[in-house]
Amino acid sequence: MALKIDRNRSDLVEVITVEGEVDLYTSPDLRSAVLKAVRKAKERVEVNLAGVAYMDSSGVATLVEGFKKANESSKTFTLVAPSDSVMKVLQLAKLDGVFEIDRAP
Amino acid sequence: MNYDIRLEVRSDPRHLGLIRTLIHDWVDGFGLPHELVHDVVLAIDEACSNVIRHAYEGRGDGPLEIRLQALPEHLEFEVRDQGVPCPQECHERRSLEAPDADELQPGGLGVQLMHQVFDQVVFCPGEKRGNCVTMRLLRKR
Repeated sequence: MALKIDRNRSDLVEVITVEGEVDLYTSPDLRSAVLKAVRKAKERVEVNLAGVAYMDSSGVATLVEGFKKANESSKTFTLVAPSDSVMKVLQLAKLDGVFEIDRAP
Repeated sequence: MNYDIRLEVRSDPRHLGLIRTLIHDWVDGFGLPHELVHDVVLAIDEACSNVIRHAYEGRGDGPLEIRLQALPEHLEFEVRDQGVPCPQECHERRSLEAPDADELQPGGLGVQLMHQVFDQVVFCPGEKRGNCVTMRLLRKR
């Protein structure tokens, strides 16, 4: 399954909506979208993960990198409506408590 | 033949989706909980991704072999490559304490996820070439 990434922006917020499977093959696309959003956002980045059917550790590493970069520039980085598959890999990696997660958008 | 299924693909990350489908369909036939099937698929995907990233250093033309075998007590999964042997410290299990945001490191998670999911994980790097990792999952939970 391919990965579909949409980007929407308003004055202060960059929103990325991700659909499909995030693995070693597709995570470079997610990484460039996330890092771009972090650079462009004035205050906040939201990554909507409701449509992510699968995520591996390279996807998690991408989110960690985005989160750290956002923190460094005093921007908030929120995971919105993560799917079961995303929550599962975050829980296995013991990272579900680290991210700011908005379960119900 | 010490396996039920043997799949060999080139070490191209495009093939990971196919590998996940195979693992899902095979494991799903043993009546394991849905969540565990997901975790096994993830852990094998991580093992294969590590072969591509580390043993073949991103090259997509090396042989990547997967062997699956259902034994009376457990399901056995083997992932083999002919790439650079990975040093022992890459395989060690670390405690996955929930880190502070400051300590977060992107990467290095794959091996830890494999240890989290399987009952036994055995790495056998070759002396000059290749790696083999055997992962065992008890059938009675």
